Amino acid sequence: MKFKILKALDVAGLQVFDPVVRLICGENPPAQLKKILLFIGIPIVAIIASIFAWNYIAPRHTTKAGEVPTPGVVKDAASGIWTFHVRENQKAHDFLLTGEQREQALADVEARMAEIEPLAAAAKERVDTLEAQSKDAIDTEAGPLQEEYKALRTATRDAAKEREAALIAEAEALPTGNAAAREAFLKKVAEHEKLTETEKDELRAFKEHIDAAYAAKFPELEAARAEYNGLEEERQYLSKRLEYLTDGNQSIKITAEEQKLDELQAGFLMAEGGKDTLKAAEKVLSQQASIERIATSEYSRPWTFPDQILRSVWCVFVGFLIGSAIAIPLGVLCGLSRIFMAAITPFIALFKPVSPIVWLPIVFIIVGGFIADPTTAPVHPAFLSSAITVALCSLWPTLVNTALGVASVEKDHINVARVLRLGVFSRLFKIVLPSALPLIFAGLRISLGVGWMVLIAAELLSSSEGIGKFVWDMFNNGSSQTFAQMFVVVFVVGAIGLLLDRIMIVLQRSVSFDGAPTAL
Amino acid sequence: MNEEKYVEIFNLVKAYPNPFGEAVKVVDGFNLNIRKGEVISIIGHSGCGKSTVLTMLAGLNEISDGGIVVAGREITGPGPDRAVVFQAPCLLPWMTAYQNVMLGVKQCYPHAEKAQRRIIVEYSLSVVGLADSMHKYPRELSGGMQQRVGIARAIALKPKVLLLDEPFGRLDSLTRMELQDVILGILDREKITTMMITHDPDEAVYMSDRICMMTNGPHAHVGEIMEIDFERPRDREAIMETDAFYAYRRRLLQFLDDCEAEKHARKQKAAISA
Repeated sequence: MKFKILKALDVAGLQVFDPVVRLICGENPPAQLKKILLFIGIPIVAIIASIFAWNYIAPRHTTKAGEVPTPGVVKDAASGIWTFHVRENQKAHDFLLTGEQREQALADVEARMAEIEPLAAAAKERVDTLEAQSKDAIDTEAGPLQEEYKALRTATRDAAKEREAALIAEAEALPTGNAAAREAFLKKVAEHEKLTETEKDELRAFKEHIDAAYAAKFPELEAARAEYNGLEEERQYLSKRLEYLTDGNQSIKITAEEQKLDELQAGFLMAEGGKDTLKAAEKVLSQQASIERIATSEYSRPWTFPDQILRSVWCVFVGFLIGSAIAIPLGVLCGLSRIFMAAITPFIALFKPVSPIVWLPIVFIIVGGFIADPTTAPVHPAFLSSAITVALCSLWPTLVNTALGVASVEKDHINVARVLRLGVFSRLFKIVLPSALPLIFAGLRISLGVGWMVLIAAELLSSSEGIGKFVWDMFNNGSSQTFAQMFVVVFVVGAIGLLLDRIMIVLQRSVSFDGAPTAL
Repeated sequence: MNEEKYVEIFNLVKAYPNPFGEAVKVVDGFNLNIRKGEVISIIGHSGCGKSTVLTMLAGLNEISDGGIVVAGREITGPGPDRAVVFQAPCLLPWMTAYQNVMLGVKQCYPHAEKAQRRIIVEYSLSVVGLADSMHKYPRELSGGMQQRVGIARAIALKPKVLLLDEPFGRLDSLTRMELQDVILGILDREKITTMMITHDPDEAVYMSDRICMMTNGPHAHVGEIMEIDFERPRDREAIMETDAFYAYRRRLLQFLDDCEAEKHARKQKAAISA
């Protein structure tokens, strides 16, 4: 049992938890504790320390998009993203509800609405009073300062004017052609200018002091505002839900339209006169068509971040599959034939360093040439071009590794194949590919990592729905909230990249014959 | 078919170009006939070209001049009628022992039924004493057991000629003796014509019907052929007690010493003339 768990951990690349399992099994506790301290304790300490450092540094740097978000703000942004996702799902769900379920949901929403409205009103009141208080506080603190500033400003301006007048008077009395006197005058003017400059600096400092007083934060007010915003958002969300459960609901809409249809049909039945009957018939038909349209309509749900994550993962897999489908056969041919290898080598050398940013526009245009109308195409051209860009950038490691793996099959194994006179296919599938498999998978693992990095850039550029587009939208929004959401993206992208890599490690280990294929 | 000349090697030459592009004949004028069903050992110093002769017979190495005829047909390339047991076991690590043997059996008996093939594979593996470890992967087997799989793979092909290229070279002496008896047992039963490369005189005398002693290279060729007159099946202890065993052994060592002395003399002569 213990060894099974240990082996599974080893195969999954989670050797970090090895000592934990051993400790639970009571194997040499001091040694295991030491290892846990080193491999689990120290990383945790490092993470906590970096969070503290982040928390300290972030507020000290202000940007156009507001303050650099602290860990707390980023956490709130993450939960905000999730709430948005859940609420959109709920709305889409509500749109399709029918019968009793709809009535039940409607009752729930109304109850919650009744609960929340007084709370929101109370919160609003609190915000208002706190705002008034804070304004008073600022005025009492900054008001006298403001007066003082005005006085100081007039005083300095007057002093400067006086000095200038004195200088003009002196200049009039200055004898012409006297170099020494003129030199002395020049010095005096310089002194005057310098003095004016320092006075200006003093004024500016004073002004900043006053501004700081105005910008002073009132944590109570901020908290009250946040609470009010939260309640207000929920209230709006609930009112939207109400709409989708009543007039906006699909089944309700259809019932209303069907009633109209009944009336129209009755009218058609009783219609007299050629022109009127034709008109009535046309009306019935158009009504039927409109009912059809409503029945097949969907809630127009905006893309939420979790959807975009799934879409990105799907896109990277499509790209990765395209890339592998090209790279593995090509790599096998390269490894088998030196002529083919010689023919392919310049292309590998030339295209490998090309950035995704260069590939994408080219691919985009070419794909656009094949797909005329994106709305009716089975795949969105932006999605397809992102996937192809991923393929183009990520196929090289697999190609090179496959070629290497195939070319470096042990000579002994080849001799076995020769003695047995294996045909081309059994030689390939029984000897060459199995022996190259570990290297091929090592290449695939690198490829997937590269593909994931490339994908975000490709999506950002091609506006294909996905993580990259989310980042770009958030960047263009430019508010401090979206700034925090971009930080969330960093962690999500990192975590998914890590997960993909782990999956590839497990696959790689399960095909390598010197490891244990029976371990899983 | 000529029973006396089941395998006929005539005027065999192997030449490699040296760094200056001149052909150097490693093996030159090697002539040997092998009787059907006999076990012949080739013995000689390391690097004299023993393995080169064997790989040429196996078809894995190109023949520069001369020719090899097996059962009335000149060989042109490798084939399962000349099964090889290499010095390293050369098993495919992603296949079990059973699958390793089956790979060859499938190739040799393309029309046999599944059950028949299975019987052949299981029989070959049990002959070498691996009935219990058929479905193990090579990494789960010891070196000696891996070599047994290699032997099973070779004999499962029912080859016309069995080629053993220092098959015990990498094994410890106890395992080596065990495997010698395993192979002798098989050969006594199946009467497969066998050529074995070795540099161990005891092994050569114990296992062969004839021993072919090769001179040192370059231009290596057959120096002397010695008949070994022991009855088959052989018993190691009984043979070890005979005087004949030691006489054969002495003769072999004498030949090898002479070869070495000749090489030394040749070197000195070359040094003097230079």
